[in-house]
Amino acid sequence: MLKGNTTFERNSPVSVFIYYACVVVPVIFTMNPVIIALSLIGSIISSFAGREHTSVRFHIYMLILFVVMTAANPLFYHNGETVLFVMNNNPITLEAAIYGAISATAVISVLYRSRSFTLYMTSDRLLYLFSILSSKAALILTMALRYVPLYTRHTRCVADAQRAAGLYKERNIIDDIKGGMRVFSATATWALEYGIVTAASMEARGYGVGRRTRYSPFTFGHRDIVLTAISLMLFAVIITAGATGSFSFTFYPRIEASPASTLAFAAYTSYGVLSFLPAILTIIEDVRWKYLVQKI
Amino acid sequence: MEILSAKNLSFTYPGEDTPALSNINFSVSEGEFVAVCGATGSGKSTLLSLLKREVAPMGKMTGEIFYRSTPLSSMNHKDSAFKIGYVTQRPEQQIVTDKVWHELSFALENMGLPSDEIRRRVAEVACFFGIEDLFDRRTDELSGGQKQLLNLAAVVVTRPDILILDEPTAQLDPIAASDFITMLKKLHRELSMTIIIAEHRLEEIIPASDSLLVMEGGRIIVFGKTRTIAASLRTNPRMLLGMPAAVRIYSELAVDGEDKDVACPLTVREGRDYILNNFRQDIKVRKVPEYTHKKDEALSFRDVYLRYSRDSDDVLRALSLTVYEGELFCIVGGNGSGKTTALLAASGLRKFYSGSIKVFGRDIRSYKNGSLYSGCLSMLPQDVDTLFLCSTVADELRDAGTDVDSLPFEFPKATLDRHPYDISGGEKQLLGLAKLLATHPWLLLLDEPTKGLDAWYKTKIGDVLRSLTASGITVVVVTHDIEFAAAYADRCALFFRGSVVSSDVPHKFFAENSFYTTSAARMVRGIYDGAITADDVIALCRANGRRNESKRSLLTGVGVT
Repeated sequence: MLKGNTTFERNSPVSVFIYYACVVVPVIFTMNPVIIALSLIGSIISSFAGREHTSVRFHIYMLILFVVMTAANPLFYHNGETVLFVMNNNPITLEAAIYGAISATAVISVLYRSRSFTLYMTSDRLLYLFSILSSKAALILTMALRYVPLYTRHTRCVADAQRAAGLYKERNIIDDIKGGMRVFSATATWALEYGIVTAASMEARGYGVGRRTRYSPFTFGHRDIVLTAISLMLFAVIITAGATGSFSFTFYPRIEASPASTLAFAAYTSYGVLSFLPAILTIIEDVRWKYLVQKI
Repeated sequence: MEILSAKNLSFTYPGEDTPALSNINFSVSEGEFVAVCGATGSGKSTLLSLLKREVAPMGKMTGEIFYRSTPLSSMNHKDSAFKIGYVTQRPEQQIVTDKVWHELSFALENMGLPSDEIRRRVAEVACFFGIEDLFDRRTDELSGGQKQLLNLAAVVVTRPDILILDEPTAQLDPIAASDFITMLKKLHRELSMTIIIAEHRLEEIIPASDSLLVMEGGRIIVFGKTRTIAASLRTNPRMLLGMPAAVRIYSELAVDGEDKDVACPLTVREGRDYILNNFRQDIKVRKVPEYTHKKDEALSFRDVYLRYSRDSDDVLRALSLTVYEGELFCIVGGNGSGKTTALLAASGLRKFYSGSIKVFGRDIRSYKNGSLYSGCLSMLPQDVDTLFLCSTVADELRDAGTDVDSLPFEFPKATLDRHPYDISGGEKQLLGLAKLLATHPWLLLLDEPTKGLDAWYKTKIGDVLRSLTASGITVVVVTHDIEFAAAYADRCALFFRGSVVSSDVPHKFFAENSFYTTSAARMVRGIYDGAITADDVIALCRANGRRNESKRSLLTGVGVT
């Protein structure tokens, strides 16, 4: 059973969006194993902390994906100087195998993050983000979102009605196709009719009489300022380190890391905090709540 | 103070010869609650839509409508959009956005209000309407009644002076309709909103209204204080048909003009007082011919259980029910009690997981390849529009393989060239019936055939169904309309939580219920037994005769000089 992500429930979509951007972007642009490992562990722990009720099946899929991606890379890429063995006249190298494992880890950690993100980012939150860019486009999107379930339901009603009225035969596939066509054409007519009433209702409520403003129940509060500040600060450290090449990492022809430096260490720490942030926030709240309960 | 008025207003739809409205003159004062009534096609909807410029239909209009002495046509866009609120009868189609909060703020966004102001107004209105719990819900998950309340709230949020409502409760069940009307009364009483409402369901609107505007053939025939107008309708039988039971009883019994000094009763309570004060109670019971059903079963449920998904609750629980051949059987009950689901199960559209359903003595699962739907059973869905596919009514009939002349009832021929979506609700029901009858069913299942119909069309549908049962067809009707069930059913069943809690012939069924019963039955509870329709009450009052003057004075203790 899927439930929403609870960590950021009370945050504005803007700050949450910034957080996810900050945490995902480094993983996409680096192949540093430390960053990527932190990303994977952080994303999994955070998804548990966020009480996302991830099904076992999802974890299994991720594991399969990891194995496949790790195995696939050395089979197709033969760069690297440490040859493990030769298969069909192609060398299988250690470097390619490690590269495969690390890139698989990166992809899986991003998938875990995306999952948390989509659980949080329900349609109205997404629309809110969208409406910052364009209020009109957001309105069109919200109307479209409304129509999808309506059409689905109406199509079923029409199919039922036509069937139970004995208006179409269902003896063979041709009959079925004809029946489907009837249902489709009835739904299309209905949708047009429906649209006219909705349009009139919009106009009756003053759509288009002047400049529209944008209202949303989401506010950018104290929590959001804190979250955004932390995200951006940590992100800045990582970017600085990344730009100066402090944690660059090369695989081919042989695995080579840039020498350890304070900046690299700062970047790892920053990314660690960033990656575990949802879990940290949840734990702080849990502790605070327990403390409160004790007082009560 | 006058807030809205029409001067010499006439209107003709494009391509029509006869005007839809002719020479309309009226004036509504601030804070007035006006009920507009009239049969289908009397021009009510046209008039109401002309009062709101944004939804006014295309056509030729002469004369002028004034809002606070400004002609409607020269009002600025903002005033016209936000000072006059408009709600139609389609709960679903009026909703624009996907979330309740967004729907409430939609008009305010259009007004260009700042975010804080919108937040306050939305909160205010949500509180006033008691819909705070729905605030975060998706609009497509709401019930019809909740949708219509949301539509009202979404209009009221701009603080209009006038609310125009075109049959807002036509698609709602009685409980939801009653909630809606209560909300209108609250808006009228507490915010002194001017309300102009057209309705077919007048039982509750009439007592709430200050004045009554009666339309016929595109003209206003009378407009004035509700009680006076209601009392004067006795010369107009078609209009009287739609009036509350109390008004009908009064009008029928006061033909000779004896009751000049007695005010026309509007509510059930007033009607009861009127009967108690004016009629004797010597004959208590109205004789009704005993009803015996045929032996053969047309449709039977035995311990049927049905649920929509593995994790949901049972919608039908141990449903057992038998409908005999040639019966007109009405199923009544609250929303979500499983009435419609029972019909869907009986028509093989939803699978039950336990029990058995038999159609004409044969297990429903043994009907293969749609043989159930040819020459056996046919269902008219709640949304009758879902049956229509063609661009004219004539094509619809041809598509089903029938024509006007072979129908067992009289079909309105004037509609043949029109689009099936453009004909009236009553005509749609007749067209739906016509299409169903083309497959020669022996069992007809009808879901809410009287929804949104005016009183005259209800009797028309009732008569058609009667004639069908007389020809041997079994008819099962699911309805919220207990007045209809009382007048036409052979037997009735009450659904509650997925099974039948009682079933009987109407005059016993409705006489035994004290809440879930007709207004006529509530009016004469304890006075007369077994009277369930206004006609029953009228017949009993006639049979009993009036109290004479001396008797009345003895009873009330007031001397008449």
